[in-house]
Amino acid sequence: MNPIQVGILGVAHMHAVTYAALLGEMSGVQLAVIADEDEVRGRELAARFNSRWEKDYQTALSFPLDAVIVASENSRHREMAMAALEARLPVLCEKPLATRVEDAEAMVAESERRGVVLATAFPMRHSLPIRRLYDYLQTGALGRIVALNGTNRGQNPGGWFIRPELSGGGAVLDHTVHVIDLMRWYTGSEVVEVYAEIGTMHRECPVDDMGLLMLEFENGVVAAHDPSWSRPRQAFPTWGDVTLEVLGTEGVAWVDAFGQRLLAFDETIGKMQYVPWGDNADHGMLQDFLRVVREGGTPAATGKDGLEAVRVALAAYESARAQKPVRLSYNR
Amino acid sequence: MEPEVNNVSKEGEVEVNVALVGAGSMGRVHADAYRHLQDAQLVAVVDSDVQRGQAFADGWGVAWYPSLRACLATKAVDVVDICTPTAFHPALALEAFSAGLHVICEKPIALTVEEAMRMIDAARRAGVHFYVAHVVRFFPEYEEARRQIQSGRLGQVGTARLLRGGAAPQGWQGWYADPALSGTVITDLMIHDFDFLAWTLGPVGRVFAKGARRHGAAVEHAFVSLRMQNGAMALVEGTWAYPEGFRTAFEFAGTLGVLQYASDGDASLKIVRRSSPSDPLVTHVESPIDVNPYQRELQHFLACMRGAEAPRVKPEDALYALRVSLAAWESLRRGEPVEVTT
Repeated sequence: MNPIQVGILGVAHMHAVTYAALLGEMSGVQLAVIADEDEVRGRELAARFNSRWEKDYQTALSFPLDAVIVASENSRHREMAMAALEARLPVLCEKPLATRVEDAEAMVAESERRGVVLATAFPMRHSLPIRRLYDYLQTGALGRIVALNGTNRGQNPGGWFIRPELSGGGAVLDHTVHVIDLMRWYTGSEVVEVYAEIGTMHRECPVDDMGLLMLEFENGVVAAHDPSWSRPRQAFPTWGDVTLEVLGTEGVAWVDAFGQRLLAFDETIGKMQYVPWGDNADHGMLQDFLRVVREGGTPAATGKDGLEAVRVALAAYESARAQKPVRLSYNR
Repeated sequence: MEPEVNNVSKEGEVEVNVALVGAGSMGRVHADAYRHLQDAQLVAVVDSDVQRGQAFADGWGVAWYPSLRACLATKAVDVVDICTPTAFHPALALEAFSAGLHVICEKPIALTVEEAMRMIDAARRAGVHFYVAHVVRFFPEYEEARRQIQSGRLGQVGTARLLRGGAAPQGWQGWYADPALSGTVITDLMIHDFDFLAWTLGPVGRVFAKGARRHGAAVEHAFVSLRMQNGAMALVEGTWAYPEGFRTAFEFAGTLGVLQYASDGDASLKIVRRSSPSDPLVTHVESPIDVNPYQRELQHFLACMRGAEAPRVKPEDALYALRVSLAAWESLRRGEPVEVTT
C-alpha cells in the first residue's frame, strides 16, 4: 500500500509542529509538503520533518496529496479548507473551525456537497481518560447527566492569537471549543442558551483573556465552563488543563485529561513542573483521521462538531456584549 | 452604647450565660465549642421537640426549655445562640433583642431582606450585640487565602472558582431541602462563598445562576456566576447532589499568580487499619487543627461583646451575602443576570 500523502497548509498554529512530528513517527504516511507564507519558518520545518516547503498553499494543493491538515491562523481556515475540499482532499482543520459562524457553515456545506471529509482537530475526543468516562456514561451507571462543569485554562499564547483579525477572539474562542465539544459528545445534546462574562486581565492584551460561560443544553443539562488564559507563564507547573465534572442522577465523576503526570522539581528552572506520561491524544486523533482517509467513514469530530462549538463560543461574545443570555436555535 | 455583661468568672474574665436554641447538628457544634471556652457557659437549650431537647440537655448537662419565652422567664441568660432552621431566625432574634439580650445567629441571617433588616434594626435599637455565624471567615485556609490575596501576591485577581458541597445534609424534618425553611443550596450553602468573595474581593456587580435537579423539584446543584464590581469574575458551584462526603475548593487567578486549595488534598493524617483479613478495613483521614473554626468564631464574638476585638462579621455583611443569594435565585427564576443591590 502506498503511503498516504499529507500536506500541512499553514503552520501558524503551534500544533502543526506536533502533528508533523507525530506523522513522522507513523508508518504508511508521508508528510509531502508544508505550505506557509513565512519562508524561514516553512523551510526550517520542511527540513526538520524531511518534507518540502511551498510558499503558496495553492501550489501545495497541486502536489499528489491524499489529505490535508489546515493549521493556519484561525481567520484563514476557511479559504484553505475550501480550496482543499474543492480539490477533493479530506481536511483535518485546526480548532476553532472558523472565526465566524457563516464561514464554518460554508466549510461544512462544501464538505457535504462534495462528499469529502472535513474533520475538526478536537484531540480531547481521543484522550483516554475522557474516552473512558464517555464509555462509562454510555453504560448508564451514572444515571442521567444533569450538570457539567468544565475548565480549559491556559496561558496567553501571544502572537497572532491576540490579533483579533487573525484569531477571531481571545481565550473564550480558543479555549471554549474543546470543552463544548466534549459536553456535546457526553450529553448528545446541543447548547440552546449561552451566558458569558468576558474580560481582559492584562490591559496590554487586545483580546479577551478570561471568561466564564453558563450554558443550558436542549435536554435540560446545565453547565459552566472556564476558558481563561489564567495560568501564570513563569510560575505555573504546566501550560494549562482540560477538566470536566459530570453530575449524574446516580453519582458524580471528575476527569482530568492531563492528570497523568510526574512532578519534577527542577533546580535549573527554579520551579516545579508537571511531566505528562499519559497516552498522546493528538496521536489518536491523527490515526483516526488517517483511518477515514484510507477507509472512508466518519472522523470522531466532524466539521459539524467544529461548527457547533464555534457557534457556542461566538454566542458567548454576543452574550457578554449584551449582558444577557443568548438563545441558539437549530434548523433540523 | 452596648451594655457590658458583668458576670465575672474565677479567672477574672467576664463570663456569659448562653441559651442555645435548636438542638440539631449546628447546635451540637456550638455546644461543643462553648465547652472549650473559658468565658462562656451553656446554661440552657431550647427546642420545641421534647425528646430531642431533653436528650440534648441531658447530654450537655444543661436545662431544657420548650420555648425561648419559657427559658428567659426562669433562666438568667446573656446571649441567645440561634441554631434553628433559618426560617425561625427572625422571630427568635427579635424576641431576644426585645429582652435586651445579645444574639449569635447561625447563617443565613434570614430568608428575606426585610426580615434581616428588621433584625439588624432591632439589635441597634436594643443596644445589644448581634453576630451572624459566617464561619468560613474563621476557617484558617480561607483566612490565609484572603491574607495572600490582600497582600497583592496574586496581583489583580481576574478569575475565581469556589466549590462547596457533598451529600445532602440531613436535618430536622428534612428542612434543608425545603425552600421555605432553608432557601436550599443557594441560600444555605453557597452563601458562605458569596460572603467570602465579598469579604475578599469587594462588592458584587451582577450574578447569573443555573440550577440542576436530579429527581425532585428542588435545585440540588447550582452554578452562580458573579461579576465583581472590580471586574473580577467568579464561579461558585454548590451542591447537595454528590453521593457522599463534603468538600470545598477554591482557586484565585491573578495577574501575578494563582492560589489553589482543595479540601480533598489537605488530609495531613491518614490511618488505614485491619486487624485480620476478615475484619472490615478502617480508614481514618484527618486534617487536624488545634482550635476548630466554630470555636474560634464564638470566641471572637464573645471577645467582641467584651469590647476586646472588633467584629469580623457585621450583620450588614450577613445581609449582603443574603442579597447575593436572593439575586441568584431571582436570576434562576428570570433566566437573566441580576444586579446585586445594597
